[in-house]
Amino acid sequence: MRRGLIAWSKGELPEALFEQRVARAQAEMARDRLDALVVYTNCTRPAGAAWFTGFTPYWSEGVLVVPHRGRPQLAVALSKRVQDWIERVACVGDVISGPRFGLEAGRAIAEIAPGARIGVLELDDFPSGTAEELQSADPSAALVDATALVDRLRQPSDGAEIALTTRAGEIARRALAAIPRDVATDAAAIAAVDGCARREGAEDAFIAVAPDLLRDDRFVRAQGEPVRLGDAFALRATVAYKGHWVRVARTIVRDGSGDASIAAAFEELAGAATRLPGTGGFGNASTWLVEATTRSQPLESIAGSTLNGASRPPAGTVVTISMTLPIGGLPILVAGPALAGTSERAGALLVAPTFA
Amino acid sequence: MTSTTNLAVQRRERLASALRASGFDVLIVYGNAWQGDYLRYATDFGLLEGHGLALVAADGEVLFLLESAVEAERAHAEAAGVGVRWVADAPAAALAELRRRGDPVLAGAPFKLLPRKLLRSGIAIADGTALVDRLLMHKLPLELEAIRSATRLADDAYRVFIHAATEGTPQYGIVAEVEAFLRAHGSADNFMLIGSGGPDVRGMTPPSDRLLARGDLVTTELTPEVGGYYAQICRTLVVGKASDVQRRAFAVYHEALEAGIAAVRPGARASDVARAENEVFRKHDLGVYTTSEYTRVRGHGVGLFPDAKPHILEDVDVELVPGMTLVVHPNTYHPEAGYIVLGDTVIVTDRGAEVLTRTPRDLFEAG
Repeated sequence: MRRGLIAWSKGELPEALFEQRVARAQAEMARDRLDALVVYTNCTRPAGAAWFTGFTPYWSEGVLVVPHRGRPQLAVALSKRVQDWIERVACVGDVISGPRFGLEAGRAIAEIAPGARIGVLELDDFPSGTAEELQSADPSAALVDATALVDRLRQPSDGAEIALTTRAGEIARRALAAIPRDVATDAAAIAAVDGCARREGAEDAFIAVAPDLLRDDRFVRAQGEPVRLGDAFALRATVAYKGHWVRVARTIVRDGSGDASIAAAFEELAGAATRLPGTGGFGNASTWLVEATTRSQPLESIAGSTLNGASRPPAGTVVTISMTLPIGGLPILVAGPALAGTSERAGALLVAPTFA
Repeated sequence: MTSTTNLAVQRRERLASALRASGFDVLIVYGNAWQGDYLRYATDFGLLEGHGLALVAADGEVLFLLESAVEAERAHAEAAGVGVRWVADAPAAALAELRRRGDPVLAGAPFKLLPRKLLRSGIAIADGTALVDRLLMHKLPLELEAIRSATRLADDAYRVFIHAATEGTPQYGIVAEVEAFLRAHGSADNFMLIGSGGPDVRGMTPPSDRLLARGDLVTTELTPEVGGYYAQICRTLVVGKASDVQRRAFAVYHEALEAGIAAVRPGARASDVARAENEVFRKHDLGVYTTSEYTRVRGHGVGLFPDAKPHILEDVDVELVPGMTLVVHPNTYHPEAGYIVLGDTVIVTDRGAEVLTRTPRDLFEAG
């Protein structure tokens, strides 16, 4: 669940921004002859609804309905008692609560357009029970996939997305900087990062650890008995701020002997970022991954060394890059948010993941 | 073999056995970080991001399909005894795998969350939700041990909460302290809500930037996990000295919790527990505050999901049997004091409720 700070910061996400996004969506919907756009949301798939309204369900699920004109409506499985909370944290019109939220959403659409053509983000992945409810409200309505429409809206990223992703990256960077070099266990290191990120206003933070890079360079989630950290280890902070997600990684070699290698790895990361959306900058990496948040899943895997047939990172869009670089006999793990380039300008890291 | 690994093996064997007994060849299990209990039961993997599908065969073999490359890498490292595969499209990969296996007899769980593509593919998938629910509700001894550990941690974390709840602290600052404590003690996840204020507060939400003020009632339900198993504590404190109104109001919740716990015994129904709690409110002319306008449930199961079945409501007819684990909590709004919570985690035993929560059922004064 989301249990960090959830509050609508109107300075960072003004109402006019959401109105503009909805208006752009409605123009695209008219082009695709859609009467409504439906976006599923739950606390693990909040990115679509959050882009339109700022709403992230801390728990449970719901759907956002963007009608062909007027304000978006939310139908959620959360109890009616939290409606006023939703209205405080989200830029949305009517909020409908109830366990059969799919049916409620379908009824709302049927009222404005009987026999509607309903565009659904990620129709194939839509929960079947909710799809059935949506359809049952108006059997004459047609559900069509609207993923391409949302892709058109969200690429390239707008200024607010870039600014808030940068802010999320800064929170993650400062949280990782809070790890003492002499920290003894994975649990102690994770606690330092997690607490710092939340105190800085993170909406959520997932901290993973590679406790001994000489044995295994994969990140895991620490649980149970604390594990003693090796001489070289790494932590990765996955942080959300106002619905914007990043990953930042930090490798630590206790005696400082790896500092030059770590600095070289940062250079590689920055170099790879300048070549995005091309993937030619990953030549020295043993593994690499590019993730983006353009649909309902935060940080969707877009391209990477182990992703056969995945797509190319979208130009002008905020992404997160993760790399493993074998330098000086050690795997150095680095990650940070970047803005993929366009024909006019090169890509760049949004946050320099250095921790001095 | 560690107790955690041992438990994972026991769960998979139990699941496979249930499949064979029901005549299914394969169970398709869906999960994400919200509704992750079915998937965790099958794979012993705590999903944090994206979603996944597991194909559990009746011989116990598990194929785990994940769309997040980060989670697939982690699953390779963490999910012992499970075949893990990164795929761009999990439903498509599941369908291809099922076709490769011939024409297996299929069930799916949780059915209503299965991706639409699976159900539109033309293959027959029966609803396997109840089959898994039975296993989730009726715990194995090692599962009960994990819930005992999680309850102890919840007690400890509530002490951290009390210490952090000082005048002028923002709600999210308190949660940050609790979360850091839990991470330092090996708990990877926590379900937590908070509320603060007076009679204007009608529920709990994720933390806001509201600063605690003297006289506030501060409520929380705090639900850490150990080895994937959650236990919950619900408590209320006052910043400063509690008023007479707050004390009188709290006494009703104390009485209701005791009545609810006394109703927990084998053969009783979930509805009996809810009714016992609600009768106390009705006796004090507060019956209206036991309705859905003011409260959601009067408790619920705990286990691999923090808000598990059975829900404790007057219209839920699930029979309580030994091995079930519940949180009993008469949480609701009080018209003079505001929202108040009080709840303990219990195990249903042959002799009634074994209360695991050790924190006193007090209206605490802090700050």
